[in-house]
Amino acid sequence: MAIPTPRMVQLAVVDWLDSRFPFTETVDEALTQRVPNFANAFYYCFGGMTFILIVFQILTGIFLAFYYVPDAAGNPAPAYTSVKFIMDDVYLGWLIRGIHFWAANLLIVMIVLHMARVYWTGSYRAPRELNWIVGVVMLLIILIFSLTGYLLPWDTKAYWATSVTIKVSGSPPPIPLPGIGVLDIGGVIKSVLQGGPVTGPATLQRFFAIHVFLLPAAILLLMFVHFRLIRQHGISEPL
Amino acid sequence: MEDNFKISTHAGEVPRMGVNPNVSRRTFLTWFMAGLMTATVVAGLLPIVVYIWPPPTKGEKNADVKVSLDKPLSELKDGDAALFKAPDNTAFVMKDGGGDNAPGDRAYSGYVVKKGADLIYLAVNCSHLGCSVNFNKDRHQFECPCHGSIFSMTGQVTHGPALVALSHLSCKTEGDGALLVAGITSTPPGG
Repeated sequence: MAIPTPRMVQLAVVDWLDSRFPFTETVDEALTQRVPNFANAFYYCFGGMTFILIVFQILTGIFLAFYYVPDAAGNPAPAYTSVKFIMDDVYLGWLIRGIHFWAANLLIVMIVLHMARVYWTGSYRAPRELNWIVGVVMLLIILIFSLTGYLLPWDTKAYWATSVTIKVSGSPPPIPLPGIGVLDIGGVIKSVLQGGPVTGPATLQRFFAIHVFLLPAAILLLMFVHFRLIRQHGISEPL
Repeated sequence: MEDNFKISTHAGEVPRMGVNPNVSRRTFLTWFMAGLMTATVVAGLLPIVVYIWPPPTKGEKNADVKVSLDKPLSELKDGDAALFKAPDNTAFVMKDGGGDNAPGDRAYSGYVVKKGADLIYLAVNCSHLGCSVNFNKDRHQFECPCHGSIFSMTGQVTHGPALVALSHLSCKTEGDGALLVAGITSTPPGG
Protein backbone atom coordinates (compact mmCIF):
# COMPACT_ATOMS: atom_id res chain seq x y z
CA MET A 1 0.00 0.00 0.00
CA ALA A 2 1.32 3.40 -0.95
CA ILE A 3 1.78 6.01 1.75
CA PRO A 4 -0.11 9.27 1.04
CA THR A 5 1.99 12.42 1.00
CA PRO A 6 1.20 15.38 3.26
CA ARG A 7 0.09 17.25 0.15
CA MET A 8 -2.59 14.60 -0.51
CA VAL A 9 -3.80 14.78 3.07
CA GLN A 10 -3.98 18.55 2.80
CA LEU A 11 -5.92 18.40 -0.50
CA ALA A 12 -8.35 15.88 0.96
CA VAL A 13 -9.09 18.19 3.90
CA VAL A 14 -9.43 21.29 1.69
CA ASP A 15 -11.70 19.41 -0.76
CA TRP A 16 -13.88 18.28 2.12
CA LEU A 17 -14.21 21.88 3.35
CA ASP A 18 -14.63 23.34 -0.16
CA SER A 19 -17.53 21.02 -0.93
CA ARG A 20 -19.36 22.42 2.10
CA PHE A 21 -18.56 26.16 1.93
CA PRO A 22 -16.24 28.35 -0.22
CA PHE A 23 -13.24 27.72 2.06
CA THR A 24 -10.44 28.38 -0.45
CA GLU A 25 -12.10 31.53 -1.73
CA THR A 26 -12.60 32.90 1.77
CA VAL A 27 -9.01 32.24 2.81
CA ASP A 28 -7.64 33.66 -0.44
CA GLU A 29 -9.69 36.79 -0.07
CA ALA A 30 -8.57 37.27 3.53
CA LEU A 31 -4.87 36.51 3.09
CA THR A 32 -3.91 37.25 -0.52
CA GLN A 33 -3.24 40.93 -0.69
CA ARG A 34 -0.63 42.71 -2.78
CA VAL A 35 1.53 45.01 -0.69
CA PRO A 36 2.61 48.19 -2.51
CA ASN A 37 6.37 48.76 -2.71
CA PHE A 38 6.30 51.92 -0.59
CA ALA A 39 4.86 49.87 2.29
CA ASN A 40 7.94 47.65 2.47
CA ALA A 41 9.72 50.12 4.79
CA PHE A 42 10.26 49.00 8.39
CA TYR A 43 8.16 51.84 9.78
CA TYR A 44 5.09 50.37 8.10
CA CYS A 45 5.44 47.33 10.41
CA PHE A 46 4.62 48.91 13.76
CA GLY A 47 0.86 48.35 13.40
CA GLY A 48 1.44 44.67 12.64
CA MET A 49 3.76 44.37 15.63
CA THR A 50 1.06 45.91 17.81
CA PHE A 51 -1.35 43.28 16.50
CA ILE A 52 1.06 40.42 17.21
CA LEU A 53 1.66 41.73 20.75
CA ILE A 54 -2.10 41.92 21.37
CA VAL A 55 -2.38 38.28 20.23
CA PHE A 56 0.44 37.43 22.68
CA GLN A 57 -1.44 39.27 25.44
CA ILE A 58 -4.67 37.41 24.77
CA LEU A 59 -2.93 34.01 24.72
CA THR A 60 -0.78 34.54 27.81
CA GLY A 61 -3.70 36.26 29.56
CA ILE A 62 -5.92 33.23 29.04
CA PHE A 63 -3.25 30.98 30.49
CA LEU A 64 -2.63 33.29 33.45
CA ALA A 65 -6.37 33.04 34.17
CA PHE A 66 -5.89 29.28 34.66
CA TYR A 67 -4.24 30.03 38.01
CA TYR A 68 -5.08 33.63 38.95
CA VAL A 69 -7.72 34.14 41.67
CA PRO A 70 -9.36 37.61 41.60
CA ASP A 71 -10.02 37.68 45.34
CA ALA A 72 -8.57 40.39 47.57
CA ALA A 73 -10.20 39.27 50.82
CA GLY A 74 -7.99 38.02 53.65
CA ASN A 75 -4.34 38.41 54.43
CA PRO A 76 -2.42 37.43 52.41
CA ALA A 77 -5.11 37.74 49.72
CA PRO A 78 -5.61 34.91 47.19
CA ALA A 79 -5.01 37.44 44.40
CA TYR A 80 -1.49 38.04 45.71
CA THR A 81 -0.71 34.43 46.63
CA SER A 82 -1.98 33.12 43.27
CA VAL A 83 0.36 35.46 41.37
CA LYS A 84 3.18 34.36 43.67
CA PHE A 85 2.13 30.75 42.99
CA ILE A 86 2.35 31.39 39.22
CA MET A 87 5.80 32.94 39.59
CA ASP A 88 7.29 30.44 42.05
CA ASP A 89 5.53 27.09 41.65
CA VAL A 90 3.74 26.72 38.30
CA TYR A 91 5.95 25.15 35.64
CA LEU A 92 7.16 27.98 33.35
CA GLY A 93 4.70 30.30 35.11
CA TRP A 94 7.41 32.96 35.32
CA LEU A 95 7.75 32.72 31.53
CA ILE A 96 4.04 33.12 30.77
CA ARG A 97 3.65 36.02 33.20
CA GLY A 98 6.95 37.52 32.01
CA ILE A 99 5.73 37.50 28.41
CA HIS A 100 2.43 39.10 29.51
CA PHE A 101 4.32 41.79 31.47
CA TRP A 102 6.93 42.65 28.83
CA ALA A 103 4.55 42.44 25.89
CA ALA A 104 2.31 44.91 27.74
CA ASN A 105 5.21 47.34 28.00
CA LEU A 106 6.31 46.81 24.38
CA LEU A 107 2.69 47.24 23.27
CA ILE A 108 2.66 50.85 24.46
CA VAL A 109 5.97 51.49 22.66
CA MET A 110 4.69 49.96 19.41
CA ILE A 111 1.41 51.87 19.57
CA VAL A 112 3.24 55.17 20.02
CA LEU A 113 5.57 54.35 17.10
CA HIS A 114 2.62 53.28 14.92
CA MET A 115 0.73 56.46 15.79
CA ALA A 116 3.83 58.56 15.04
CA ARG A 117 4.19 56.88 11.62
CA VAL A 118 0.54 57.47 10.77
CA TYR A 119 0.93 61.09 11.77
CA TRP A 120 4.19 61.49 9.86
CA THR A 121 2.84 60.02 6.60
CA GLY A 122 -0.39 62.02 6.99
CA SER A 123 -2.44 58.84 6.94
CA TYR A 124 -5.08 60.38 9.20
CA ARG A 125 -6.40 62.62 6.40
CA ALA A 126 -9.56 62.10 4.38
CA PRO A 127 -10.96 59.56 3.82
CA ARG A 128 -9.16 57.85 6.71
CA GLU A 129 -10.23 60.07 9.63
CA LEU A 130 -12.61 57.40 10.93
CA ASN A 131 -9.78 54.88 11.19
CA TRP A 132 -7.68 57.43 13.09
CA ILE A 133 -10.57 57.88 15.52
CA VAL A 134 -10.93 54.10 15.92
CA GLY A 135 -7.18 53.92 16.56
CA VAL A 136 -7.29 56.60 19.24
CA VAL A 137 -10.16 54.79 20.96
CA MET A 138 -8.07 51.58 20.89
CA LEU A 139 -5.13 53.49 22.39
CA LEU A 140 -7.39 54.58 25.26
CA ILE A 141 -8.59 50.98 25.67
CA ILE A 142 -4.98 49.78 25.89
CA LEU A 143 -4.29 52.43 28.53
CA ILE A 144 -7.30 51.23 30.56
CA PHE A 145 -5.94 47.68 30.09
CA SER A 146 -2.66 48.86 31.61
CA LEU A 147 -4.42 50.60 34.48
CA THR A 148 -6.68 47.67 35.42
CA GLY A 149 -3.97 45.05 34.88
CA TYR A 150 -1.60 46.91 37.19
CA LEU A 151 -3.90 46.31 40.18
CA LEU A 152 -4.36 42.57 39.67
CA PRO A 153 -1.18 41.29 41.42
CA TRP A 154 -2.55 43.01 44.57
CA ASP A 155 0.88 43.79 45.98
CA THR A 156 1.84 47.04 47.68
CA LYS A 157 2.87 48.74 44.44
CA ALA A 158 -0.38 47.73 42.71
CA TYR A 159 -2.55 48.81 45.64
CA TRP A 160 -1.03 52.23 46.16
CA ALA A 161 -0.69 52.99 42.46
CA THR A 162 -4.42 52.36 42.10
CA SER A 163 -5.19 54.36 45.25
CA VAL A 164 -3.38 57.33 43.70
CA THR A 165 -5.10 56.84 40.32
CA ILE A 166 -8.54 56.73 41.93
CA LYS A 167 -7.74 59.80 44.02
CA VAL A 168 -6.65 61.70 40.89
CA SER A 169 -9.77 60.58 38.97
CA GLY A 170 -11.91 61.70 41.89
CA SER A 171 -10.40 65.16 42.06
CA PRO A 172 -12.86 67.16 39.90
CA PRO A 173 -14.58 69.60 42.27
CA PRO A 174 -18.31 69.40 42.97
CA ILE A 175 -20.47 71.62 40.76
CA PRO A 176 -23.16 73.60 42.59
CA LEU A 177 -26.50 73.43 40.78
CA PRO A 178 -28.64 76.37 41.99
CA GLY A 179 -31.93 75.20 43.42
CA ILE A 180 -31.15 71.49 42.95
CA GLY A 181 -28.11 70.76 45.01
CA VAL A 182 -24.51 69.84 44.29
CA LEU A 183 -23.26 67.57 41.50
CA ASP A 184 -20.25 65.76 42.92
CA ILE A 185 -18.58 64.56 39.69
CA GLY A 186 -15.36 63.51 41.45
CA GLY A 187 -17.30 61.52 44.01
CA VAL A 188 -19.28 59.72 41.32
CA ILE A 189 -16.15 58.78 39.33
CA LYS A 190 -14.43 57.63 42.51
CA SER A 191 -17.34 55.44 43.65
CA VAL A 192 -17.76 53.88 40.21
CA LEU A 193 -14.04 53.06 39.89
CA GLN A 194 -13.75 51.88 43.47
CA GLY A 195 -17.01 49.94 43.72
CA GLY A 196 -17.35 51.00 47.35
CA PRO A 197 -16.25 53.52 49.96
CA VAL A 198 -12.61 52.35 49.98
CA THR A 199 -10.10 50.84 47.54
CA GLY A 200 -10.51 47.17 48.42
CA PRO A 201 -11.70 43.75 47.25
CA ALA A 202 -14.64 45.31 45.37
CA THR A 203 -12.18 47.43 43.36
CA LEU A 204 -10.10 44.40 42.40
CA GLN A 205 -13.23 42.48 41.42
CA ARG A 206 -14.39 45.11 38.92
CA PHE A 207 -10.89 45.88 37.62
CA PHE A 208 -10.52 42.15 36.92
CA ALA A 209 -13.88 41.99 35.11
CA ILE A 210 -12.97 45.05 33.03
CA HIS A 211 -9.51 43.65 32.25
CA VAL A 212 -10.54 40.16 31.15
CA PHE A 213 -14.12 40.50 29.86
CA LEU A 214 -15.02 44.03 28.81
CA LEU A 215 -11.82 45.35 27.24
CA PRO A 216 -10.77 42.24 25.23
CA ALA A 217 -14.22 42.13 23.64
CA ALA A 218 -14.06 45.84 22.85
CA ILE A 219 -10.56 45.76 21.39
CA LEU A 220 -11.23 42.67 19.24
CA LEU A 221 -14.26 44.36 17.75
CA LEU A 222 -12.38 47.59 17.09
CA MET A 223 -9.37 45.72 15.63
CA PHE A 224 -11.73 44.05 13.17
CA VAL A 225 -13.15 47.47 12.21
CA HIS A 226 -9.62 48.92 11.98
CA PHE A 227 -8.44 46.21 9.58
CA ARG A 228 -11.60 46.26 7.45
CA LEU A 229 -11.19 50.00 7.03
CA ILE A 230 -7.54 49.55 5.98
CA ARG A 231 -8.69 47.03 3.33
CA GLN A 232 -11.32 49.51 2.23
CA HIS A 233 -8.93 52.47 1.90
CA GLY A 234 -5.73 50.65 0.99
CA ILE A 235 -2.41 51.51 2.62
CA SER A 236 -1.91 55.25 2.41
CA GLU A 237 0.92 56.48 0.20
CA PRO A 238 3.71 58.47 1.83
CA LEU A 239 3.80 62.23 1.28
CA MET B 1 -0.28 12.75 -8.07
CA GLU B 2 0.75 9.53 -9.77
CA ASP B 3 4.40 10.51 -9.36
CA ASN B 4 4.07 10.08 -5.68
CA PHE B 5 3.24 6.43 -6.10
CA LYS B 6 5.94 5.50 -8.59
CA ILE B 7 8.35 2.97 -7.34
CA SER B 8 11.77 4.49 -7.66
CA THR B 9 13.74 1.52 -8.81
CA HIS B 10 15.80 1.68 -11.94
CA ALA B 11 15.27 -1.02 -14.49
CA GLY B 12 17.41 -4.00 -13.83
CA GLU B 13 18.53 -2.77 -10.44
CA VAL B 14 18.60 -5.38 -7.77
CA PRO B 15 16.51 -4.27 -4.76
CA ARG B 16 18.82 -3.66 -1.84
CA MET B 17 18.29 -4.87 1.64
CA GLY B 18 16.28 -2.47 3.79
CA VAL B 19 14.87 -0.49 0.86
CA ASN B 20 11.08 -0.42 0.83
CA PRO B 21 10.08 -0.15 -2.84
CA ASN B 22 6.68 1.26 -1.80
CA VAL B 23 8.20 4.45 -0.31
CA SER B 24 9.62 6.78 -2.92
CA ARG B 25 12.34 9.31 -2.17
CA ARG B 26 9.78 12.13 -2.61
CA THR B 27 7.27 10.55 -0.22
CA PHE B 28 9.97 10.09 2.38
CA LEU B 29 11.24 13.66 2.05
CA THR B 30 7.80 15.30 2.23
CA TRP B 31 6.92 13.36 5.36
CA PHE B 32 10.34 14.22 6.73
CA MET B 33 9.73 17.94 6.13
CA ALA B 34 6.21 17.68 7.57
CA GLY B 35 7.72 15.98 10.59
CA LEU B 36 10.23 18.78 11.05
CA MET B 37 7.50 21.41 10.82
CA THR B 38 5.32 19.50 13.27
CA ALA B 39 8.27 19.25 15.65
CA THR B 40 8.74 23.03 15.41
CA VAL B 41 5.08 23.70 16.22
CA VAL B 42 5.14 21.19 19.08
CA ALA B 43 8.28 22.84 20.47
CA GLY B 44 6.44 26.15 20.44
CA LEU B 45 3.34 24.75 22.15
CA LEU B 46 5.18 22.59 24.66
CA PRO B 47 5.73 25.42 27.18
CA ILE B 48 1.94 25.93 27.25
CA VAL B 49 1.34 22.22 27.87
CA VAL B 50 3.97 22.26 30.60
CA TYR B 51 2.36 25.37 32.08
CA ILE B 52 -1.16 23.95 32.33
CA TRP B 53 0.11 20.80 34.03
CA PRO B 54 -0.72 21.37 37.72
CA PRO B 55 2.37 21.67 39.91
CA PRO B 56 2.66 19.59 43.09
CA THR B 57 1.14 21.32 46.08
CA LYS B 58 3.43 22.58 48.74
CA GLY B 59 3.06 20.52 51.87
CA GLU B 60 1.67 22.61 54.70
CA LYS B 61 0.62 21.24 58.01
CA ASN B 62 -0.73 22.76 61.18
CA ALA B 63 1.85 22.25 63.86
CA ASP B 64 3.15 24.02 66.89
CA VAL B 65 6.10 26.20 66.02
CA LYS B 66 8.95 26.18 68.49
CA VAL B 67 10.48 29.61 69.04
CA SER B 68 13.59 30.29 71.09
CA LEU B 69 13.46 33.56 72.97
CA ASP B 70 16.44 35.91 73.10
CA LYS B 71 15.91 36.44 76.82
CA PRO B 72 14.41 33.97 79.31
CA LEU B 73 10.82 34.68 80.32
CA SER B 74 11.87 34.98 83.96
CA GLU B 75 13.90 38.06 83.07
CA LEU B 76 10.88 39.75 81.49
CA LYS B 77 9.81 42.57 83.81
CA ASP B 78 6.22 43.35 84.71
CA GLY B 79 4.87 45.75 82.10
CA ASP B 80 7.45 44.81 79.51
CA ALA B 81 7.07 42.93 76.21
CA ALA B 82 9.44 40.81 74.11
CA LEU B 83 9.28 40.27 70.37
CA PHE B 84 9.60 36.77 68.90
CA LYS B 85 9.72 35.80 65.23
CA ALA B 86 8.59 32.72 63.34
CA PRO B 87 11.57 30.71 61.97
CA ASP B 88 11.91 30.18 58.20
CA ASN B 89 9.08 28.18 56.53
CA THR B 90 6.80 28.62 59.53
CA ALA B 91 4.02 31.01 60.44
CA PHE B 92 1.92 31.64 63.51
CA VAL B 93 -1.85 31.40 63.30
CA MET B 94 -4.04 34.01 64.97
CA LYS B 95 -6.53 32.75 67.55
CA ASP B 96 -8.95 35.63 67.15
CA GLY B 97 -9.09 39.03 65.51
CA GLY B 98 -11.13 41.64 63.73
CA GLY B 99 -10.60 44.46 61.28
CA ASP B 100 -7.70 43.51 59.02
CA ASN B 101 -7.05 40.38 61.08
CA ALA B 102 -9.19 37.27 61.26
CA PRO B 103 -8.94 33.99 63.15
CA GLY B 104 -6.70 31.68 61.15
CA ASP B 105 -4.73 34.51 59.52
CA ARG B 106 -0.99 34.17 59.53
CA ALA B 107 1.38 36.24 61.59
CA TYR B 108 5.13 36.12 61.31
CA SER B 109 6.00 37.75 64.62
CA GLY B 110 4.42 38.10 68.03
CA TYR B 111 4.86 39.80 71.38
CA VAL B 112 4.84 38.17 74.76
CA VAL B 113 3.62 40.68 77.33
CA LYS B 114 4.04 40.32 81.08
CA LYS B 115 1.24 41.84 83.08
CA GLY B 116 1.32 40.97 86.73
CA ALA B 117 1.47 37.22 86.93
CA ASP B 118 -0.05 36.75 83.43
CA LEU B 119 1.67 36.29 80.12
CA ILE B 120 -0.23 37.61 77.08
CA TYR B 121 0.66 36.56 73.56
CA LEU B 122 -0.22 38.99 70.75
CA ALA B 123 0.36 38.97 66.98
CA VAL B 124 2.23 42.05 65.74
CA ASN B 125 -0.28 42.82 62.97
CA CYS B 126 -2.16 46.08 63.48
CA SER B 127 -5.90 45.50 63.15
CA HIS B 128 -6.18 48.59 60.92
CA LEU B 129 -4.12 47.66 57.85
CA GLY B 130 -1.69 45.03 59.07
CA CYS B 131 1.49 47.01 59.79
CA SER B 132 3.74 45.63 62.51
CA VAL B 133 3.14 47.46 65.78
CA ASN B 134 6.07 48.47 68.03
CA PHE B 135 6.14 48.23 71.82
CA ASN B 136 6.84 51.48 73.61
CA LYS B 137 8.68 50.52 76.80
CA ASP B 138 8.16 53.88 78.51
CA ARG B 139 4.44 54.18 77.95
CA HIS B 140 3.74 50.44 78.14
CA GLN B 141 1.70 50.47 74.94
CA PHE B 142 1.80 49.24 71.34
CA GLU B 143 2.13 51.91 68.64
CA CYS B 144 1.57 51.42 64.94
CA PRO B 145 4.17 53.25 62.81
CA CYS B 146 1.86 53.52 59.78
CA HIS B 147 -1.20 55.46 60.92
CA GLY B 148 -0.63 56.03 64.64
CA SER B 149 -3.01 53.48 66.15
CA ILE B 150 -2.24 52.83 69.82
CA PHE B 151 -3.05 49.65 71.74
CA SER B 152 -2.81 49.02 75.46
CA MET B 153 -0.47 46.39 76.86
CA THR B 154 -3.28 43.83 76.66
CA GLY B 155 -3.96 44.69 73.02
CA GLN B 156 -7.08 46.86 73.46
CA VAL B 157 -7.44 49.94 71.26
CA THR B 158 -6.71 53.21 73.02
CA HIS B 159 -6.36 55.36 69.90
CA GLY B 160 -7.57 54.96 66.29
CA PRO B 161 -7.69 54.57 63.35
CA ALA B 162 -7.73 50.90 64.41
CA LEU B 163 -11.15 49.87 65.72
CA VAL B 164 -10.57 46.41 67.18
CA ALA B 165 -8.04 44.82 69.50
CA LEU B 166 -4.87 43.04 68.43
CA SER B 167 -5.10 39.31 67.71
CA HIS B 168 -3.95 36.71 70.22
CA LEU B 169 -1.69 33.75 69.54
CA SER B 170 -2.10 30.35 71.17
CA CYS B 171 1.11 29.81 73.07
CA LYS B 172 2.58 27.44 75.58
CA THR B 173 5.84 28.02 77.34
CA GLU B 174 8.44 25.34 77.02
CA GLY B 175 10.90 25.81 79.83
CA ASP B 176 12.06 29.30 80.44
CA GLY B 177 13.57 30.23 77.08
CA ALA B 178 11.25 28.79 74.44
CA LEU B 179 7.63 28.98 73.30
CA LEU B 180 5.40 26.59 71.43
CA VAL B 181 3.12 28.66 69.19
CA ALA B 182 0.14 27.30 67.25
CA GLY B 183 1.07 27.73 63.60
CA ILE B 184 1.86 26.28 60.21
CA THR B 185 4.98 24.57 58.95
CA SER B 186 5.52 24.32 55.22
CA THR B 187 7.76 21.96 53.37
CA PRO B 188 9.05 23.01 49.95
CA PRO B 189 7.81 20.91 46.95
CA GLY B 190 9.42 17.52 46.93
CA GLY B 191 10.58 17.99 50.51
